[in-house]
Amino acid sequence: MRFPVSLTLSRVSTSGNSLFSWLLLAPGMLFLAAFLVVPGILLIVLSLHDVDGMLMVLPTYSFSHYIEAFTSAGYIRALGTTLWVAALTAVLCVLLAYPAAWLLVSTRSRAWRTVLYVILISPLLTSVVIRTFAWIVLLAQNGLINDVLRRLGLIDAPLALLWNMKAVIVAYVQVMLPFAVLPLATSLGEIPAALPRASQSLGAGAHHTFLHVVLPLTIPGMMSGAIIVFALAAGSYVTPLLIGGRLQPLLPIGIYQQALQIANLPLAAALSLTLLVVTAAIAGLMSYVQKRWERRVYGH
Amino acid sequence: MATDRDFTAPVSSIGWRWLGRAAGGLVYLFLILPVLVIFLSAFSPGAYPQFPPESVSLRWFQAFFDNRAWLKALQVSAWLLLVVTPLTTLLGTTAAYALARLQFRGRDVLQAFVLSPLIIPQVVLGIALLYVLTGMGLSGSLTGLAIGHILVALPYAVRTVSVSLASMDRRLETASMNLGATPAYTFRHVTLPLIKPGIVAGAVFAAVTSFGEVSVSLFLTAPGTVTMPVRIFTYIDQTFDPVVNAVSAIFIVLAVLALVLIERTIGLTKAM
Amino acid sequence: MSAIDIHGVAHRFGDLQALAGVDLSIAQGEFFSLLGPSGCGKTTLLNIIAGFLAPSAGTVVVGGRDVTSLPPHRRDIGMVFQSYALFPHLNVFDNVAYGLRVRKAKGEDVRARVAEMLELVRLSELAQRMPHQLSGGQQQRVAIARALAIRPQVLLLDEPLSNLDAKLRKEMQTELRRLLGNVGVTTVMVTHDQEEALGLSDRIGILGAGRLQQVGTPLELYRRPVNRFVGEFVGHANLIQARANGSGIFEAAAHFSRKGVPLQLASSHAAGGDALFLLRPERIRLSASSTDAQQTNPANPANSVAGVVRDASYTGAELHVTVTLPGGGELVVEAPEANFAEVPRVGAPVQLAWNADDLAVLPAESKGARI
Repeated sequence: MRFPVSLTLSRVSTSGNSLFSWLLLAPGMLFLAAFLVVPGILLIVLSLHDVDGMLMVLPTYSFSHYIEAFTSAGYIRALGTTLWVAALTAVLCVLLAYPAAWLLVSTRSRAWRTVLYVILISPLLTSVVIRTFAWIVLLAQNGLINDVLRRLGLIDAPLALLWNMKAVIVAYVQVMLPFAVLPLATSLGEIPAALPRASQSLGAGAHHTFLHVVLPLTIPGMMSGAIIVFALAAGSYVTPLLIGGRLQPLLPIGIYQQALQIANLPLAAALSLTLLVVTAAIAGLMSYVQKRWERRVYGH
Repeated sequence: MATDRDFTAPVSSIGWRWLGRAAGGLVYLFLILPVLVIFLSAFSPGAYPQFPPESVSLRWFQAFFDNRAWLKALQVSAWLLLVVTPLTTLLGTTAAYALARLQFRGRDVLQAFVLSPLIIPQVVLGIALLYVLTGMGLSGSLTGLAIGHILVALPYAVRTVSVSLASMDRRLETASMNLGATPAYTFRHVTLPLIKPGIVAGAVFAAVTSFGEVSVSLFLTAPGTVTMPVRIFTYIDQTFDPVVNAVSAIFIVLAVLALVLIERTIGLTKAM
Repeated sequence: MSAIDIHGVAHRFGDLQALAGVDLSIAQGEFFSLLGPSGCGKTTLLNIIAGFLAPSAGTVVVGGRDVTSLPPHRRDIGMVFQSYALFPHLNVFDNVAYGLRVRKAKGEDVRARVAEMLELVRLSELAQRMPHQLSGGQQQRVAIARALAIRPQVLLLDEPLSNLDAKLRKEMQTELRRLLGNVGVTTVMVTHDQEEALGLSDRIGILGAGRLQQVGTPLELYRRPVNRFVGEFVGHANLIQARANGSGIFEAAAHFSRKGVPLQLASSHAAGGDALFLLRPERIRLSASSTDAQQTNPANPANSVAGVVRDASYTGAELHVTVTLPGGGELVVEAPEANFAEVPRVGAPVQLAWNADDLAVLPAESKGARI
């Protein structure tokens, strides 16, 4: 069988920087340029447009929407609450992730480990509406928890478990926990088995070993997980809308309402860019801390 | 060796160990609780689930298949899946290969850029796309939805193919090109077969992501282009329909099947 | 009172009996090596002494205290791991100080002791470095300093030199001897390298298939191995199966002899019947034979044979010559190269001889009896 031989030998570059590779890069880059970069730029431009009383976009520019975002008590509160809820979710996820990751890593039976992986990852492959819906079924007035409590005789009237921030946070934690467990489990699994043994040989019991050896060495995985959970929670609107109701003071809900219900796109744009920048800044800071730790301990 | 994974020796601290395991077990129970609830409800004869369950009924599954609106939503989601999956896999594979083989300053930045849709808040992606697609006259159309789905699913495909590329022996490509084959030929006959697991896993991720996508889709749909998850959203928001339980149960089963597929190809531990 | 007493220790991994009934006593201040091929159970035994494994049977007594059911952190041992296991997130100083801080030692005491230990391993200037910045040899010295800092009753070394390259290994052997001679702590080392064990130990315990085959000083093990396994593992060995012929002489098995004219072995140590003789290659004297290679020297019939050179390799300091005997069997000879004017040619006839005392007697084994 004949195959195409490259006629210009200089092109047979084993370093990989061939024309072919550049050509392969093109379609993906073009797509992202068209549907990520350009929309991003246009969004910034949009956010600077004024609107008239009828919420029609005017050809003039100003920072009015940003001023509104940063001076309106409602939006400041929404941003603050969003960040606070995201941070709390991240912390809770990390705390719960430790026992879950430890169980995953220390399970010897391959069958059980697969079961745990299925429990961890299959939620990530189902739609977020479904995961949220399950909580509604659990927490609704005639939902499962109320039903069980009532039949056990512990309560007379059903508890109002939905429509508050606590329910939102519980749902957030359950929905995003796998994102915290997986990187942490990776980190935990990478700790050489000799290290905890060395610690014990020096006189440290399980507790001391965990605090002074295991925990510090899981910082990269823990930070990765925390960053992902924080970013996801900060941008979430479907879950809090369905569980907490439209009145929850969360910025993503406000953005959704401004865009699709009130149709004030420029304001929605300004709010979403604000959210993006603040979230990126915090995530960037956490990432920087993580990189510095890794450089100090591993040299890269 | 059997003792390699012991974090505490068998002779010590057994109490801590079992406490840790119990705590871990509780967390997994917490994780799986909603799934159990859904299955309980999907098969329960009444509108609300009973625990312990009294009997099993398939009426909600029946109701789903009898309902025109649900079937239309299924059709829309299926169409999108069939279009989005191959396109995403194609874009993802080519991008992953190029990023793995090219060396230039700023390559790492570009890599991060390609993965960025994963962490950009989907509400921001939704608005940006809404604005641009409206300007192109595509807002509310299937094409617009497809674009949105591809954008969200692309990072997954890039990631799985990158994993496969990283574990592949590069010298095989070098050997092929030393024998005179062009890079294109090498890619088709050497690389592609070797990274097939990553491509398949990427396709599975793309399909599952598209089928379940809602956060961006809500900005891009119109009454004629309602996907399954969007319909579920509006339904939960406005009414209570137990058919949603049945639909959810189907979604979960599909997710587990997808998981099995991914495990068979590149393995779960490396995919995430 | 001995430093370590091991009684009847056994360990099973599922179906596999890794250790079977080990009894051992190690004296205070002694450097004891556990030597054996991989899979022989030596690391298992070390882990049992350390407390990382619980034995299926038997007891471990350290310093008069039964520690069998004690967790590792209560056994007052120090351990140096094969991978050194330095804590990557702590610098050298904090690594060495780790055990002291666990014991809640005071700041100045910690500083003084760490400084003393770093001085001992000659790494004082590197106290602020992180482990990833150290070379393999340096990491190992930190690991030793860390283990010794807590003044353990017993120091355990798990294949300490196996990750080092050959030259570094020799240097570290000398270093270890100096260090541990200074400190005087009871040391148990696990290794598969017999040269290392012979060079460092006061006594060696050879493990084979989960059992202690022999315990003794390096000299005892080398000169008077108790069975074939030990004989072959420690040093090189020529093994000759022979049978007593009734007049105080042993006749070697067929492939060592010519048909009708058996190789005769005389040894004062062997009783009658069948015997397996071990002859060290460096104990055989080799000389050129001017007579017909097929004839044995009539003047001294026993402990001498004629043969033909099959292979001769020159290692610089020595010559290793493989000699084929009339019956087809082979003997390996090692001799200082200074004894030879030139390297023997392949095919050259030679005469081999040795002293009766150089023959070690091993228990005769039935065909196929192997460890």
